[in-house]
Amino acid sequence: MRPPNAIFTAPLRPGRNGRSWPGFRDAPEGTGDSHLQEPIRDHLFGYQQAFAHPLSVTIVVGVLVGLAVSGTLIVALRRLISEASYADAFRRWRSWCWLVGVIFLPVLAGALWTMLAVMVLSLLCFREYARATGLFREKTICAVVALGIVLVTFAAVDHWQDDVLFFALGPLVGALIVIVGIPADRPKGFIQRVALGVLGFALLGFSLGYISNMANVSNLGGTGIDYRPLILLLIVAVELNDLLASLIGRTLGHKPILPKTNPRKTWGGAIGAAVLTTSLVAVAGGWLFRGTPVAEPGWLIGLGLLVSLLGQLGDLTLASIKRDVGIEDVGATLPGHGGLLDRFDGLVLVPPAVYHYLSLALGDSGPLGSEGPHRILTGGWGG
Amino acid sequence: MDDWRLQPARDLELAGADRHRSYQRESGLVANVARFAWWSMIRASLKLLHRLEIHGRENLPGSPSFVLVANHASHLDALVLGATLPLRLRDQLFPLAAGDVFFHTPALAAFSATVLNALPVWRKKVGAHAIKQLRSRLIDEPSIYILFPEGGRTRNGSMRPFKSGIGMMTAGTRIPVVPCYLEGTFEAFPAETLIPRLHKVTVRIGTPRTFEHLENRRPGWDEVSRCLEHDVKSLAYSLDAPTTTTTTTTTTTTSIRN
Repeated sequence: MRPPNAIFTAPLRPGRNGRSWPGFRDAPEGTGDSHLQEPIRDHLFGYQQAFAHPLSVTIVVGVLVGLAVSGTLIVALRRLISEASYADAFRRWRSWCWLVGVIFLPVLAGALWTMLAVMVLSLLCFREYARATGLFREKTICAVVALGIVLVTFAAVDHWQDDVLFFALGPLVGALIVIVGIPADRPKGFIQRVALGVLGFALLGFSLGYISNMANVSNLGGTGIDYRPLILLLIVAVELNDLLASLIGRTLGHKPILPKTNPRKTWGGAIGAAVLTTSLVAVAGGWLFRGTPVAEPGWLIGLGLLVSLLGQLGDLTLASIKRDVGIEDVGATLPGHGGLLDRFDGLVLVPPAVYHYLSLALGDSGPLGSEGPHRILTGGWGG
Repeated sequence: MDDWRLQPARDLELAGADRHRSYQRESGLVANVARFAWWSMIRASLKLLHRLEIHGRENLPGSPSFVLVANHASHLDALVLGATLPLRLRDQLFPLAAGDVFFHTPALAAFSATVLNALPVWRKKVGAHAIKQLRSRLIDEPSIYILFPEGGRTRNGSMRPFKSGIGMMTAGTRIPVVPCYLEGTFEAFPAETLIPRLHKVTVRIGTPRTFEHLENRRPGWDEVSRCLEHDVKSLAYSLDAPTTTTTTTTTTTTSIRN
């Protein structure tokens, strides 16, 4: 009943039906209070470790410097560009400032905040997706997808051994979406409704949920490094990849990859972004994974290519959805960018691939996050 | 509900207060749940605190679109009329509310749109375009409007003449308009007070009418408002008579019952 993990050394607090809750330990007698075990509390809420790894510092400082420089440039160029261009650039820059804050702060603050932030991001992105495709009119399917996103977060926080609960939720929530579509007795359009629900959950609930699952890393490949530099690297690399593809595409590229899907996405931009992002991820990864089996040039270049190519394919996935329904942006949440999903589209395919790739590469030290702690909320419930 | 529409929300390009104030607004799951909680609470509190009594519920059309019109004495009125409808219709129910009161600030607009599902009527600048949008929405998709044709709350308890806005929305359409009379809301929550009093409230629902045969022009609009004003006053005068026997006829209107 008690998970085989060295972290659970304190006396266990009995739960209902006499079961134990390993995440808690008894408070000093007479206080009537209980406390999370210290290692779990540190992992979930321990902001003191925010800058424990120099890569986290480098990424945060680099992004802040980037924002400061770009902001200064926009103001300096004000007289040289039209008022409309200036207003648009400034709106985009201001949105970037907000985004950096709401992404970096939870990741740096602790694993629980990261998981909750990913849950909110998933829910907001799904809302935009549902409104863009018309799925929002199907309230029951939307409710099941929202429930699935909450359950994915629960599974990530709870962290079963080998992530069996997390992985089970993919097919189970998918099946539930199919099931709840049946009683409406509206066979016409059944495939479309259910398929849109399953696609929405797969891309925005389960796939983004892998970032939550990665937040369980507390001892990466036995090096003592936690999840922060890995998740920061992943998000920044994907966003930079998107930005590079756009910038290089505008200056060097002319031939669109898929003119009907996204005429602005060019071969030049895609190749340029792939080269630069792969180099960046390989160098940063070499630093992060030092002392683990991943720190081999082959694995590192593979990781960089995975991030860059899947990032661009994620972008084209959303572009395909938008062209299908005939819209330019999926929302208007972020001034200058469109919707949240317009900004995070590159991220939707990357997390599962990176998780499984790194788990494979880590070999005996993997899979990612296997070091525990496990069953934080459910304890010994269910055996 | 349609079989399936791969069609984005009409208000997709709007955000924040612009979206909440839009006549094109379409709501999703969060608003649906919020409205369920809101109307459940309102129905329970009206029953408990104001001993709400509803007469003539059988006169309500079985399905949208239709319009409920009534005399206007307090901010309770729209809630009382909303409470006469089944909960399942909460997403199709749109109280038309004063824009300068219910949509003045972004926070108020968010509440009015998400929870009340209200649509704004800008009393000082209500234009033909806004009325046209309201009319189109009523015709194109299942909607229930709650409208107070007096244009504002009474300050002395007596009914004011009906304005022609209701006619601009319904003249020349097959949309049923249901006249209602609210009794006790003036005593429960008059305009100058901040907190409602525990006073009994009664709502009397009359026979619906359609104005399909009237032209969508000034004479038709005036006829609609005149007719409905007469209906609501009749309901007020016939308080002692059983509602189901209430009938009002004019030579230019058609009474229907669902």
